[in-house]
Amino acid sequence: MRNFAARLVAHEAALQSVDSGVSTAFAVSAKMRAHLTTLMGNGGHRALLMRALALASAEVSWLCLIEVAIDGTLQGTAPLDESVAPDDALMGGVVLVAQLLGLLVAFIGERLTLHLVREVWPKFPARDLNFKI
Amino acid sequence: MKKQHVGAKRNASRAEASESLKVAIRQLPTGIRGLDEILGGGIPEFSFNIIAGTPGCGKTTLAHQIVFANATPGKPALYFTVLGEPAVKMLRYQQQFSFFDESKLGKSIRLFNLADVVMEQDLDAVLAEIVKQVTNVSPGIVVVDSFRTVARKAANEASEADLQSFIQRLAQFLTSWEATTFLVGEYAESEIRNNPLFTIADGLLWLWQVAERNSVVRKMQIMKLRGQASVPGLHTIRINDDGLQAFPRTLGLTGRKPKPGRRRRLSTGIPELDTMMGGGILEGDSLLVAGPSGTGKSALATQFIAEGLRQGESAIMALFEERPDGYTERARGFGLNLKEPQSSGKLEMLYLRPLDLSVDETMQAILDAIGRTRAKRLVIDSLAGFEMALAPGFRADFRESLYRMIGALTGAGVTVLSTVEIEDSFQAMPFSHYAISFLTDDILRMRYVEIDGQLRKVMVVVKMRGGNHSKDIREYVITNRGVVVIGPCQTDYTGLTTGIPTRVGKRAESAPEPKAKI
Repeated sequence: MRNFAARLVAHEAALQSVDSGVSTAFAVSAKMRAHLTTLMGNGGHRALLMRALALASAEVSWLCLIEVAIDGTLQGTAPLDESVAPDDALMGGVVLVAQLLGLLVAFIGERLTLHLVREVWPKFPARDLNFKI
Repeated sequence: MKKQHVGAKRNASRAEASESLKVAIRQLPTGIRGLDEILGGGIPEFSFNIIAGTPGCGKTTLAHQIVFANATPGKPALYFTVLGEPAVKMLRYQQQFSFFDESKLGKSIRLFNLADVVMEQDLDAVLAEIVKQVTNVSPGIVVVDSFRTVARKAANEASEADLQSFIQRLAQFLTSWEATTFLVGEYAESEIRNNPLFTIADGLLWLWQVAERNSVVRKMQIMKLRGQASVPGLHTIRINDDGLQAFPRTLGLTGRKPKPGRRRRLSTGIPELDTMMGGGILEGDSLLVAGPSGTGKSALATQFIAEGLRQGESAIMALFEERPDGYTERARGFGLNLKEPQSSGKLEMLYLRPLDLSVDETMQAILDAIGRTRAKRLVIDSLAGFEMALAPGFRADFRESLYRMIGALTGAGVTVLSTVEIEDSFQAMPFSHYAISFLTDDILRMRYVEIDGQLRKVMVVVKMRGGNHSKDIREYVITNRGVVVIGPCQTDYTGLTTGIPTRVGKRAESAPEPKAKI
């Protein structure tokens, strides 16, 4: 799942014509938010993201500094770009995306999660649409 | 006379013209087996419908099946979830059904969560959000699940007039946008009278879970459907891996063919019995074989099926007591091979013992098997086992249901042999416990009689609707060839039907199976 999340973050970075960084990882989360809120409502999306953040924080400690705001956005990302090493920051972002996708897989299964990813990123390469590689 | 003719012609052409001016209401398939028949063809297009019922009776599954059956990229379905079942959980559970096609999600089926608007804003905002989404998507089908949540929230904050106005505006808008709408909700029957929703709705599909003793059965009623005639009454529904399946009360009553004037006689596989029956069972008849345990009813039924197979006919055995393996093995003991025809598809053994079975489901299973095999012969072994397999709620209607079922099966041109176990009384000779003999064309009664210190077996053809038959009470034995009717008895007895006969005159022959000797 982490490889998939990393590919997704890289894909988003390419779309934005920037290098992969924590901000692109959070942009992935933000893009999914728009879609998931339509599906689950703001409350549903927020609960899911909070759970993903809790799981990811257990792996990457600096994520404890991040919070999910009432509207489902991630708060506290700006200062981290300076206080956390870029590689660690990117890894934290990727882990968060991986946990979010992992939760979706657990709830609605691989096929529907991939379907959702394809809807949000229609140009994501088909060969990369696989959680196992 | 000429004037009259001209008048009639004019009336006819007026009727034709008025017919052509009538709006044709297109019907949407529900995707639920049996439901279109109950609805009178399907869901009327652009109708505003309520799917109501208690929790767990299949409302959301029903709505999903309709959505998946109809949604296309050109005419998508818009599914608003509110607070009933969160969308993620709904997707989690619904994808277990075979009708769920995830490729339809997105382009053909759009899910939209209304919970935030419902919880945080008023009815006007809810309507505005629905209008916005419907205007964007231009859906063919709109579902609000659960609408009850919307109404409940409104009931706390808005007046009844506001709620009525909201429902009215919603119905008007969705109909104007050419959407067929389903509002799903948990309602109690007592609410029907006072809830404006039920007045405005074009269609009202009510689902129940009925508990009786330890059994639970699901039922459906079309309480209201504007524009077309639906089948009244309660219909059994079952939820399995394919979703909901409905069993119309009229199953089997429609499309019955009259029995042809000249019918051939089918051999039972027991030549002496064929002779007793005037040449065999008339094709398309229903024969009831009644007798106590151990008298050979199942053996006779097996011979009847084996004879059909021998003549190239397909057959079905609906078994309610013995398992198919046991049946096949016992047939092998009689020198009858039922294994090979099962492999080749000429014979289907339906072992029907799910919990809380309904007659309609049984009938559907048998009719499906007839469709697959083009069976000419059917054995139901036994009616007692069949009744035991039914949910208690259905047992009360067993006689009527059986009447419908046998009528449907013989109407399909199948010759039916049913067995029924009867406890032998040594005073009388009843034909069955169910007083169902009126629904069978022919009755064969088997029973024990005590003769010379032996418990021997006799049979008699009690009734043959299609012609004359032997009135003789004939002795028979069960050998390794199955039921074998032995030659006409030359010793005269009276009181054979009581089971304790008295010999009149001299004994003319010895017992067919000799008594044990010291």
